[in-house]
Amino acid sequence: MGVAVFAIIALLFPTLAFFLSRYFRTDKHDPRGETTYECGEVPIGDAQIQFHFQYYMYAIMFVAFDLVTVFVLLWALVFADLSELAKLFMVMFIGVLLVGVTYALKKEEIIWI
Amino acid sequence: MNLYEFCYGIIHWLVDLVNNLWYWLGDVLPWVFGDFFDAVGDFAASDSNIAFFTILTEVLIIVIIALINVLNFIWLDRKFMGRMFDFYGPYYVGYRIGGWLQNLADGIKLFVKEIITPAKADRVGFLLAPVIFISSSFLALATIPLGRDFGIATNESGAGVPAGVLVAFAMFAIAPFSILIAGWSSNNKYTLIGGMRSAAQMMSYEIPMLLTVASVLLLAGSFSFSGVVDAQHDLWFAIPLFLGFIVFMVCLMAEVEIQPFDLPEAEAELVEGWTTEYCGMRFGLFMMTSYLRGYIGGALATALFLGGWHGPELIPDPIWFLIKAYTVFVIVEWTRWSLPRVRVDQILDIGWKRLMPLAVLNLFIAVAFKTMGWF
Repeated sequence: MGVAVFAIIALLFPTLAFFLSRYFRTDKHDPRGETTYECGEVPIGDAQIQFHFQYYMYAIMFVAFDLVTVFVLLWALVFADLSELAKLFMVMFIGVLLVGVTYALKKEEIIWI
Repeated sequence: MNLYEFCYGIIHWLVDLVNNLWYWLGDVLPWVFGDFFDAVGDFAASDSNIAFFTILTEVLIIVIIALINVLNFIWLDRKFMGRMFDFYGPYYVGYRIGGWLQNLADGIKLFVKEIITPAKADRVGFLLAPVIFISSSFLALATIPLGRDFGIATNESGAGVPAGVLVAFAMFAIAPFSILIAGWSSNNKYTLIGGMRSAAQMMSYEIPMLLTVASVLLLAGSFSFSGVVDAQHDLWFAIPLFLGFIVFMVCLMAEVEIQPFDLPEAEAELVEGWTTEYCGMRFGLFMMTSYLRGYIGGALATALFLGGWHGPELIPDPIWFLIKAYTVFVIVEWTRWSLPRVRVDQILDIGWKRLMPLAVLNLFIAVAFKTMGWF
């Protein structure tokens, strides 16, 4: 319940700050002020384009490794109660994953897309 | 006496005071509503109502302490930067207290400034992104206790939130998501590049950070902050896990987006990064939140590695905690004003080729310590 109340306060804080400033600020809108800011130039084209995503290899590795981190966190919590075999399995699991990451990084170095 | 009991006492006293007046009013004016006064008074004095207001008071106390710390941090940052770069820093507003009031002056200035939503922007995302960023950063504070008896508790025992470390890190890690929303919805080329850089940065630091946290949790055997801090009663985890502490500090700098890793808002390259289109109070709260994240980062490093509130009894627990958090912040600021910014491919390399193997090595060191039975 403490976290829930905190969440309500945390949501109210920015909302109230934005809302209250409405009654204190000047609102003299100028259509020139509403153009997209590009250091004074008139922007050419839209910015919502298909972005050239150069680091997709890292993104794939990130997704794979993030799941592993969840397992590692759970494993860390119950570590003291585990059998030797279970500890060894997890270490092997991380080792296998490290081999995969090394290989992926090697590919990434050769083919920088 | 812990924080819950303190707030409970205050709220109970207040409710009694108001209720006495209320019941007296019910006696004087019985013909108006009859049982209405009694019903409202009984509701106000009920256990669930008092518990709710107690928790509300606790939360407000924690939030106000955090906001005062943020003001201190902004002041400290500017003064420290000034000394490093050989100028004074703020000194005019609040002359007698070292220019401390400059932050308040800036806040008031930003509060009365005009807010512009760009005509081409996606309005929903543009308005939603700051709210997500700020409220998720605040929520990361929810589970961090400042002392053994000085955290948000939901009952009289004063026990903090279970699995508080996970909640704090989960809330702390939402920010890149909102930055991506802000960058995309502003419909500006700079903000778009800033948002994409934020995503790339998150990919590089999140894994080593969580692995070092996993090593700490492994030694402590608990997910709650009180468990982690109590496990450091004899020895701070920064000493056996020195490697992990270094990795954690580097990741923390990336997480709170300060200088060597402030790729999303690189002032020299992108105008103001992902905050380019935000102005007035929105920008003000963004800036405040970035320092709030600095405070949270310092608090996390303190709780996980520097022994939390443990220290000689001379100084009370929360003060010890804050001293350590301020020290961490000053070290981070020192790094911030000393190092140049890295490139976006360099941070991916640092994250995956340097920090990640070190974090895994650190995890194995922690496993070795735990298996040897030293912790």
